[in-house]
Amino acid sequence: MAQSDATTADLAAPPQIKRRRLRVRGTSITLLKEVRERAQADLGFDVEYELLEFVDCQRMAALEPEAYDIYEQCFHNLDIVWFWGALQPIDTDRIQDWDKITDLSKTGGISKYAWRGHGDAPVRKLYVQPGGFLGPKQGRYISMLPTVHNMDSFGFDTRVFGKGDPRAPSWAWLLDRRAKGRIALVDEPAIGLFDAALAAEAAGELQFTDVSNMTIAEIDALMALLDDRRRQGYFCATWRNANEAAELVLQDRVSVQSMWSPVYSNMGKMAETFVEAAPIEGYRAWHGGASLSRHLQGAQLDLGYEYLNWWLDGYAGAVMARQGYYMSAPDRTKSALAPEEWAYWYEGASAARDLLGPSGGVVVKAGARRAGGSYQDRANRIAVWNTVMEEYNYAARAWARFVRRVNEVQK
Amino acid sequence: MTARTNNPLAQEPRYELISQVLRKNILNGVLPKGLVLLEGPIAVLMQTSRMPVQAALRLLADEELVHRFDGRGYLVGAVGAAPLRRDIGEFHLDIPQQVDDALQTRGTWKHFYDEVEEQVASCQVFGEFRIVETELAAYLGVSRTVVRDVLSRLQERGLIHKDNSSHWVAGPLTARTLREKFELRAIIEPAALRLAAPFIQYGQIEEMRDRIGADPSLKPEDLENALMEHCIARAKNTSLVEMIQNNQMLLTSVNRALTGLGLPEDAIALDQYRTLFDLIARHPIDSAAEYLRDHLHIMAAKNLARMKIVAVISEAVDFPPYLIVQ
Repeated sequence: MAQSDATTADLAAPPQIKRRRLRVRGTSITLLKEVRERAQADLGFDVEYELLEFVDCQRMAALEPEAYDIYEQCFHNLDIVWFWGALQPIDTDRIQDWDKITDLSKTGGISKYAWRGHGDAPVRKLYVQPGGFLGPKQGRYISMLPTVHNMDSFGFDTRVFGKGDPRAPSWAWLLDRRAKGRIALVDEPAIGLFDAALAAEAAGELQFTDVSNMTIAEIDALMALLDDRRRQGYFCATWRNANEAAELVLQDRVSVQSMWSPVYSNMGKMAETFVEAAPIEGYRAWHGGASLSRHLQGAQLDLGYEYLNWWLDGYAGAVMARQGYYMSAPDRTKSALAPEEWAYWYEGASAARDLLGPSGGVVVKAGARRAGGSYQDRANRIAVWNTVMEEYNYAARAWARFVRRVNEVQK
Repeated sequence: MTARTNNPLAQEPRYELISQVLRKNILNGVLPKGLVLLEGPIAVLMQTSRMPVQAALRLLADEELVHRFDGRGYLVGAVGAAPLRRDIGEFHLDIPQQVDDALQTRGTWKHFYDEVEEQVASCQVFGEFRIVETELAAYLGVSRTVVRDVLSRLQERGLIHKDNSSHWVAGPLTARTLREKFELRAIIEPAALRLAAPFIQYGQIEEMRDRIGADPSLKPEDLENALMEHCIARAKNTSLVEMIQNNQMLLTSVNRALTGLGLPEDAIALDQYRTLFDLIARHPIDSAAEYLRDHLHIMAAKNLARMKIVAVISEAVDFPPYLIVQ
C-alpha cells in the first residue's frame, strides 16, 4: 500500500489482525473438544486439532512435519517420528512444572524398586542423547513432554467368564476356546501384537525370551499361532479406535477383546456385562505426550511451549482422568478434580456418587470401583509397554497380513 | 564388470547409444513428425531391454525432439502433429555400424546386472519377494538362459535364495541381518584398514576431509565410497576386500532406497567421517581403526532405527513387475 494515501484506506477497512494459531496433530487419546476449548480460552490463541488413527498419525507426522506444530502421540512411536527428523528437542528449562512430573515418566518406575516392565518404558525414549539417539540418561533436552498414560488390559463378558470367578482374569482368555468366534484385537502392530503375545504366553502356547523384542522366529511362531486360531474361526474382528471397540460390545459380537479405558464409559446396557480385567500377568502400559515439530521457531515456538506448559497445569489432566487416563503431573490434576473423582480414578476407592465423563454424561455409577485398584497398584504391575521393537518392520507387515485375513472373512 | 571390446562405444550406457540412433533419425527426417514411438518395438529393434529405451526417450523429450501426448509413448517432433501409428521397423533406421556393434556386444547378463541387483536389494526392506523368471526375461527383453545367469550371480552374492518349492526369493531384510552385517563390518573393515595403511592415498583423504562442512553437496555416501576406494580397497588382500564389498552391498542399496523414500541424510555421520579421515591422515593407523570400529557400531544403531521407520511405508511402492510381494 502506498504511504501517501494510506489514511482513507486505513479508516475504511478494519485492521486485519491475524489470529495466532497452533496446529495439533494427534489421536483420540488426547484430542478432546473439552481440552481444545479450554486451552483456547486460557491461552488466547486458536488451537486446531487434526485427529487421526494411530498408524496414519505416526506416518503423516513423520512425512509432513510442516503440517503441524504439536504432535500428540505415544512414546513408543518416537522411534518412527523422531528418527525421521520430524521433531525438535524440548528444552526442559522452559517447562515450569518439569520437577512435578512423576518418576514413572522420568525414571521409569513409580519407585526405585518397582519393576519397569518390558519394552519401551517412556524413560527409554525420553532424553536426547549425544548423536541424536534417545535414551534414559537424564539431560536437559527431551523428545516428548510426558502427559497421559495408562495400563491397559482387555475386557470380558461375565456371562462367559463368570462374574465372581475367584481365579483372576488372564490374558490367556484372548485365545480361550469359550470365546471362540467372539474375540477381537486392536489393530495397531505395536499394541495388538503384544495383547496377542501376552495371551500366547499366558496360555502356555509360546515363550518369548524378551516379549518386547521378539526374534524373527518368535514373531513367525506367534503369527502362525494367530493364523491357526483365525482359521479355526476364533476372531470376529479387529478394531482401530474406541468407537469401533464400543460398537463390537454394543452389538454383542465379542466375549473378550483388547480394550482402551474410555470404551468402558460408552457401553450403555452392556456396562454390567462387559467388564475390565485386571490380569494376573500384569498390564500392557502406554505413555503419551506432546512434541514440537521440527519447523517451529521464534514466536510460533513460544506458542508451542505455552501449550505444553498448559497441558501440565491441571485442567487437561482432569479431563483425561475422567476417561480413565493418568497424568504425569498428578498433583496438579488432583487440584482440578473433585475429591470423589480423585478417590475413584487415582486411589481405587469406590465412587461416592455418580461420576461424569469428559463430555458430561455419567460414566461411573455410585459404588463402583476401578478394576485393578489404585494408581500405585496398577503402575506396579506393568508387564510390558507398547513397543516398536527391533524387528518392527517385519512384525508390522506380518501383523497387517493377519488383520487383512481376519477382516476378509468378515466381508 | 563391463565386457572388454575394442569398440569405444561399448563402454557407453545403452540409453546413450539408443538416443544417438533416434536423434540422428529424427533430425535427418527418417522418422516423420507425429510418429508414435513406443518402448516395446524400439527395444526389439535395438535388441535391448525396455529400461534404456525409456531413459533414451526421456532424454529426447528433454531436448524437445519428442513429446508426450494423450496416449502411450511419445510423438516425434514439436507439439501439434497428429499421431501417426506405424511400425518403426518400416522406416529402415540409419544405425551406424559402430553403434550397432556396441549394442550387439551388450547381449550378455553383465550389462543389466547392476540394475537388477539394485532393484532386488532395495525391495527387501518391504518384505519377502518372489522373483518370476519369465517376467524378468520379459522385463529385460532377454532369454531365460540369460536370466538364469543373472539369478545365479545374485545368489552368489547372497541376495536371493530358493525357497522350499524352488522359487527364487529375495528378502526379507530383517533387523537381525542388518545387525549381523554391521557386526561383520566392525570386525573386518578395521582389519583391512590396518593392512591398507602403507598403500592409502593420503592426499585424497585429506582433500575429502577438508571438503566436509565446506562442500554442502557432500553426502555420507560419498565419504563411505572415498573410505572404500582410497583406504580399505587398497589392502593387499583381495579376498578380504571382496568380502567387505559383498557384505556392504545390500546395506548400500537399502540405504539408497531409504534415502530415496525421503528419509533424512545423517548430518552427524559427516562429523564422524571428518574425525575418521583426520585420524587416518595423521597416523598411526591403529587409532583410526579403533575409531572406525566405534563408528560402525553407531551406524548399526542408526540403521536399525531407520529400518523401523520403513514399517510405516506400505508395499504400494512401485516395484518392477518381476518382483511379487509374498
